[in-house]
Amino acid sequence: MSEFIIGLLITLAFIWYLTFSANRLDRLHHRVETSWANLDSILQRRAALAGEIAHLNEVDPATNLLLTSAAHQARDAEISERSEAESGLSEALKLLRQESDIPELYPEIFSELDSITDRLRTAIAIHQESVTATRKRREKLIIRAFRLAGRAPLPITYPFEDDVL
Amino acid sequence: MKIGMVSPYAWDVPGGVQAHVKDLANHFLAEGHDVSVLAPALDEEAVAEEFVVSAGRPVAIPYNGAVARVLFGPVAATRVRQWIARNEFDVMHLHEPAIPSLSLLACSIAEGPMVGTFHVAAPRQKVAFAIAPLLEPVIEKLRARIAVSEVARETLTIHLDTDAVVIPNGIDTSFFASANVNPEWKREFTIGFLGRFSEPRKGLNVLMEAVPNLTRAIPNLRVLIAGPGEGLEVMQALNPSLRNRIVFLGRLSEEDKASFLKSVDLYVAPNTGGESFGIILAEAMAAGAAIVASDLPAFESVLGYGKYGLTFTNGDANHLAKQIIKIAKDQKAIADLREQAELGAMKFDWKTVGPEIMNVYQHAQGESEKVTVGSEPRTWLRFLSREDRGELS
Repeated sequence: MSEFIIGLLITLAFIWYLTFSANRLDRLHHRVETSWANLDSILQRRAALAGEIAHLNEVDPATNLLLTSAAHQARDAEISERSEAESGLSEALKLLRQESDIPELYPEIFSELDSITDRLRTAIAIHQESVTATRKRREKLIIRAFRLAGRAPLPITYPFEDDVL
Repeated sequence: MKIGMVSPYAWDVPGGVQAHVKDLANHFLAEGHDVSVLAPALDEEAVAEEFVVSAGRPVAIPYNGAVARVLFGPVAATRVRQWIARNEFDVMHLHEPAIPSLSLLACSIAEGPMVGTFHVAAPRQKVAFAIAPLLEPVIEKLRARIAVSEVARETLTIHLDTDAVVIPNGIDTSFFASANVNPEWKREFTIGFLGRFSEPRKGLNVLMEAVPNLTRAIPNLRVLIAGPGEGLEVMQALNPSLRNRIVFLGRLSEEDKASFLKSVDLYVAPNTGGESFGIILAEAMAAGAAIVASDLPAFESVLGYGKYGLTFTNGDANHLAKQIIKIAKDQKAIADLREQAELGAMKFDWKTVGPEIMNVYQHAQGESEKVTVGSEPRTWLRFLSREDRGELS
């Protein structure tokens, strides 16, 4: 009889642990969704602002083309290629910053760009951390053995080069 | 935005974390946000601030070279539940959630947008983090983590295997910059020390050890020691002929502290360890003090690696004396240092720090999500419905 009770307790404890683990993972997935949504919205805003900058009167046609196409690429990129496309846009903006006097003519637009860039750094750091935590968790044996991740795809890290921001 | 903050330590006991929570709450209130703070309190009647809700009486435990008053248990848990359920916060900000106290409790109870700030830096103190594996599932719930310094961030990475955004503690720089100069504290060449000097980690003994060397080079030296404690022991350890150089000022009010930092010729922070940020250095900078501090990583970082103040080898009284003597004879160097310090302090002003923290809150916030009390039935519902969840980026 006592073996039965012990067995029952172990089973119950195990079921509880499975629920607990699934719940943890679910929360992590939700965290990634939130951090990505935030990162994505900031990137969208930056692309929009880049488009605005491209159409300023003082911007020459070549730079205009460079910026617009970089902004478009960033907007249309698949999630796995997103960081590469965004780096392209960062690069184009940086070039404009360094090699023309347009930033001085439009201090408002460029200070907005600066604040977006600051927010972007934080957003990337927060997203990166939530992705790493989720991926690490999903490698756990219990998660894989019982397929606790369900059909949720493995979150993708957002690699970026710090110096181009 | 409706913000809930949780302090792990007793509200009516002075301390760095409590002061930070209080200033941050006041900053956001002044900006028109709705803030409620949940904190333990020794005496509920003594809590003057309207926005503070008491969670009960804390217990005292020795921690990190000081006594920490923390709170946990079923009664506190009930109060946390009620507080969360009643308020429907947009974001909950937990201070020091890795310490077994109220913040950790709140973190384990709540679901939703949560941000944690880690103040402590204890790269070697393993004991405090011995419960790390148990903490992981709880800390994991935080949408974003803030570390108050690089050192605090490192501690986090080592013990809890997670990264954080570094945002320094904030201060009201104008309060210190506009302080009055007290002529009594400027008479002759004054060196200031501030802190609970009976605690060895504050490093007063390092400064005392340097005094004989200093008086030889600076005949009109006076050492002003401010802070609570009994000075008798310090005096007895000192050569009788040097005792008239030392002045004990006792505990100073905030106004006097600002004036003290502004008046002294040199401010010395010889702390030997246990500092994760060094808010006093930021305050001294804001007051435009010429600073000589030990080379703790946290101090180095506040002082901009020598830009806003000098450092000396931690614990080395000779090096300290050398650094002080070097600058004491050079009025221009002191003036430059003062000017640089005051400029450098701007990055610690709430006007800079507040928006950075608000930015993190916004990152933590999902779409129209509120902080709720996590409940078991809901856990099961979520588990059963997870197969239908949408796609994940």
